[in-house]
Amino acid sequence: MKRTWLALVVAFSAALVMLIQDGAFAEKPKQDGKTKAAAKTETKAAPAEASAPTIQIDKTLLDNGGTVVVTGKAPAGKPVFIEVWAEDAVRASRFDADADKETGKRPYILYLTEEMPAFYRMIVPKEGKETLEKIKKEGKSWSFSKALKDLGADQAYSVPAKKKIERYQATLMGSIIGSRGTLLPAMDEKENAKRSMQLVKARFRSPGVVLGAAVDVAPDGAYKAEVKIAHGMAPGKYFVAAAVDKTSRSETVTVENKIGFPLIYLNNAGTSVNIFGPFFLTLVIAIFGVLMGAGGGFIMNPLLVSLWPLPHTVVAGTVMPTVLFSQGSGIYNYSKIKFISWKLGVAIGLAMVAGGFIGPKLTELITLDQFKFVFGWILLVLAGLMFWQTTPGYLAKNKKEQAILQEFKKQAEAAAKAKKG
Amino acid sequence: MTVSFWGHDFKVNIVFGCIGGFLIAIVSSMFGFGGGPFMVPLMTVGLGLPMYIVVGSSLLAIFFNTLMGTMRHYQFGNFDLVFFLIMFPAAIIGGYIAPQIAKRVSPLTVKRIAIAGLVLLALNLLGVY
Repeated sequence: MKRTWLALVVAFSAALVMLIQDGAFAEKPKQDGKTKAAAKTETKAAPAEASAPTIQIDKTLLDNGGTVVVTGKAPAGKPVFIEVWAEDAVRASRFDADADKETGKRPYILYLTEEMPAFYRMIVPKEGKETLEKIKKEGKSWSFSKALKDLGADQAYSVPAKKKIERYQATLMGSIIGSRGTLLPAMDEKENAKRSMQLVKARFRSPGVVLGAAVDVAPDGAYKAEVKIAHGMAPGKYFVAAAVDKTSRSETVTVENKIGFPLIYLNNAGTSVNIFGPFFLTLVIAIFGVLMGAGGGFIMNPLLVSLWPLPHTVVAGTVMPTVLFSQGSGIYNYSKIKFISWKLGVAIGLAMVAGGFIGPKLTELITLDQFKFVFGWILLVLAGLMFWQTTPGYLAKNKKEQAILQEFKKQAEAAAKAKKG
Repeated sequence: MTVSFWGHDFKVNIVFGCIGGFLIAIVSSMFGFGGGPFMVPLMTVGLGLPMYIVVGSSLLAIFFNTLMGTMRHYQFGNFDLVFFLIMFPAAIIGGYIAPQIAKRVSPLTVKRIAIAGLVLLALNLLGVY
């Protein structure tokens, strides 16, 4: 028992060191003073261009989300669009394997950006509400570019359009050796904007997240809108800008969003979560997993992507290492009593290494919906397997097997002890 | 391939085992789980090995997969350190609590609950409800 506690202490201290090095505990609030000063960019002076809208916000500091009232004046009679985005960037990717409408060829190109804002929202005039409702009803097949066009907001769409997007030509061979494929030359502005819309959809999933219809525009051009930043969003700076069309854009104003314990921001996932949520979920699932004799990953992953707005790539990539250590300690315990066939384990293990090399790349290439769909079937197969393990025939056979297992284990333990003594 | 284990020799169809292991590894590393519940039936039913050789050896085999999968996910930037640090202690604590409870509940009951839970979760993922 002493050894296990020692191991636990070592694990915790190692974890703590990693955390400190990562800067998670670094004093972020200290910067607030500076940024607050910088955030006071209320534009009281007349804009350089007569046609550019002005913009003011009622506060510059938010505590774990909140509502900012944006006001200003735009040229009379024109619709006003407000873009809100976070400074914090996350990764977004989309694998294009849709057949071309004209040639029927599938491009198999992976689009990837590291610069997608962790929060993005396009707010259109209130008149767009009905259109927006219609878009929401389209379900999962909605298209962001079509939605922008329908709302007339394609002229004002600008921030993600300028983000650098890399594209890779995936090949079958490349997939086998696990590379992303060949990096293709950068796209022109128009193409980049088009692909960025697809990435916005891939990242934010539903139209209600990225689109809102809340700008109240008076006939004289004065506008007012409430910008809601929900709980659990990325901390840091948020930018707000109003636009009438492509050329006529207001200045960018800044709002600072702060989050506090027990909320923790997950850098890679681009989401803040209450630290206790995943903690207790993992605890319960881990216990349950041991009891039913299967790793908890099966239940963990689908629950995590369903309960929190976490990208499935990050979920898969982070849950995997957590089982590494329990597997390692299991192997250690078995090897102590020589209860492992190294020849068999390594032989199959080598084949599994090859599989483990390919799998993580494929995670990138599928969408969240595909992830859920395939996972659903995997779980059904697993449920079938487990049901088979509860049938009387299996149980009778298993009883015998377990008896032999215990017998051998006893022998092995005795042998290991004898050797030590 | 012949495997000797505690005085018994077993003939193993290693080609079948490796192909099965390879496919399980792709799926499990793609979706981020261990793969044990698929590996054990593969080795017991597919390869006809007795349980006592499978328990340890299957763990060793999937450890290879998990290690590789972890490295690759890390390489692709899918690993979130803070998220990991939330879940990791919970997983370890769970591992210590579970054996205490295990003595008091029947594994069969747990399995039946698990089946019901899995089916519900699966149907939810497939969008049935």
